[in-house]
Amino acid sequence: MGDKLNIEATSRTPAVLFDFAHHHLKIAGESYPEDVTEFYGPVFIALDNYLNTIGKTSCRFDFELIYLNSSSAKAIMMVMDKLEAAAKKGAAVEVYWYYDNEDDTMQELGEEFGEDLESAKFHLEKMTA
Amino acid sequence: MSSDDLFAAEEQVIAAAQELLDKGALHDKADGKLYQELLKDYQKLFRTTRRLMKLSDRNEQQLNALSQEQRRANEIIATKNKELEALSKKLSKYLSPQIYHSIFTGAQNVEIASNRKKLTIFFSDVVNFTETTDKLESEDLTHLLNRYLTEMSNIALEHGATIDKYIGDAIMVFFGDPESKGVKEDARACVRMAIAMLRRMRELHAEWQELGAVKPFHLRIGIDTGYVTVGNFGSDDRMDYTIIGSVVNLTARLQSFAEIDGILLGHETYSLVKDEVAVEEREPIKVKGFAEPIRCYKVLGLYDDLADEGMVIREEADGFKFLLDLQKRDRAEAIAALESILARLKE
Repeated sequence: MGDKLNIEATSRTPAVLFDFAHHHLKIAGESYPEDVTEFYGPVFIALDNYLNTIGKTSCRFDFELIYLNSSSAKAIMMVMDKLEAAAKKGAAVEVYWYYDNEDDTMQELGEEFGEDLESAKFHLEKMTA
Repeated sequence: MSSDDLFAAEEQVIAAAQELLDKGALHDKADGKLYQELLKDYQKLFRTTRRLMKLSDRNEQQLNALSQEQRRANEIIATKNKELEALSKKLSKYLSPQIYHSIFTGAQNVEIASNRKKLTIFFSDVVNFTETTDKLESEDLTHLLNRYLTEMSNIALEHGATIDKYIGDAIMVFFGDPESKGVKEDARACVRMAIAMLRRMRELHAEWQELGAVKPFHLRIGIDTGYVTVGNFGSDDRMDYTIIGSVVNLTARLQSFAEIDGILLGHETYSLVKDEVAVEEREPIKVKGFAEPIRCYKVLGLYDDLADEGMVIREEADGFKFLLDLQKRDRAEAIAALESILARLKE
C-alpha cells in the first residue's frame, strides 16, 4: 500500500484523495460513473488495505459530494460500513459529511448515513465557499 | 399512497420478527442470535432500499426540473437567436458581405490586427457632385445617391469586390482580401468591374434623364495594385476593416487625374491586365509623396469587347499572339505588314 491514492475528478466521477500517511481520506465531487464497480473497486481495495492496518489509530474521512446516483449511493454506504467496522474494532474514525447549504437531498442523505454509524463519530457540516 | 404505505409489508415483517424475538419464541439460543442478526441485516437492507429509492426519486425530480429549465432556456435562446439574427442582418448592411461573412463564420477575429497583402484598389468619384446636385431637393438627392451607390455596389459584389467604404459619393473598394483569386485575376476582376460600372452608368443616364434629372452623374475611376496593410484599425470600441498604404493614396490621386467617365490605371495594375485590357499610356503624373512621376494608363476597353465592336482584331493561342488596333493602324498598312509576315513564314 502506498502513502496515497489520488484519483482526479472527472465530469462523472469524484476526486479521491486518500492520504494514508496522515490518516486523512476524502471523496469530493459528483458521482455517476458509467461503471460504478470499475470506479469504486480500486477505492475499496485501497480502503480495505488501509483499514486493516490502522488498529486503534485515529483517522478522518471527508465526504464532499454534490451529486450521487443510486449506484454511487450504494458504494458510499459500503464505504460507511467499512469505516463503521474499523471503528468497531477500535479505530477512532471520524466521518465528516459536507453538504451544500441549498442541497436538502445531500443533507438528508448525510443525516441518514449518520444514523447508521454507531462506533464511528459522525459530523454533518455545511460546505464553506 | 405515502412511502410508509409502500413499505407496509416490509414493516409488518420486521414488526412480526421483532415480536417473535421479544416473546422469546426461539428457544434455541444460537438460533435466536442468528435470527436477531438476520433481522438486523434485513432492517439495514430495508433502510438502504428506502434511501436509494428516495434518492432515485429526488434525482428524477431534479432531472425533470432541469429538463424543464432546459426547455425554457432553449425557448429563450431561440427567441434571442431570432433577435440576434435580425440584428446581425441589419448590421450586415454596414459591412462588406465578405467581411461580414468572415467575421460571422469565425474566419476572422474582431480585434485590432492587420497584415500585409497585395491588393488591387479602386476609387471612384462623381464629377462635380456638389454642383450637379445643389439644385436637388434633399429627398431627391438621397434617392439619387442611394440608387447610384446601390447600383455600383451590386456590380462591385458581382465581381467579388470588398467594399471598403462610401465617402459621400465616392466609393472605395478592393480586391484580394479577405478572398483572393490570385493577384492577376483580382486586378482583372477590378478592371472588368470598373468597365461594367461605367456601362451601367450610361444606362442609368438614360433612365434618370427620363425621370427628369437635369444633370446625370459622371465618374472618374482610379485603379492600382500594390502592397497594403489590411485589417482592423481603430480602437477596441470602434474599428474599421480597411486598408492603408501609399498605393491607397496613389489610387485616389489616379482617380482625380482620370478623364470624365474614364478609368486610369497605375503601372502595376496595367502590367497584370495588359493581355485582356486595351490601354493608352498617358503622361506620367506627379503625385505628392512620390519622388518620380507616376506612369499611368487610360483604359480603352476589354479586348474581347473591342473585337466584338470591330475596333481590334485579336487572335491568341499557345505561342501565337496577334493584336491589331484598327484605331491606331491603317488597314492597308496592317495588310502590308501581315503579307510581309506571311512571306517570311512561307520561306
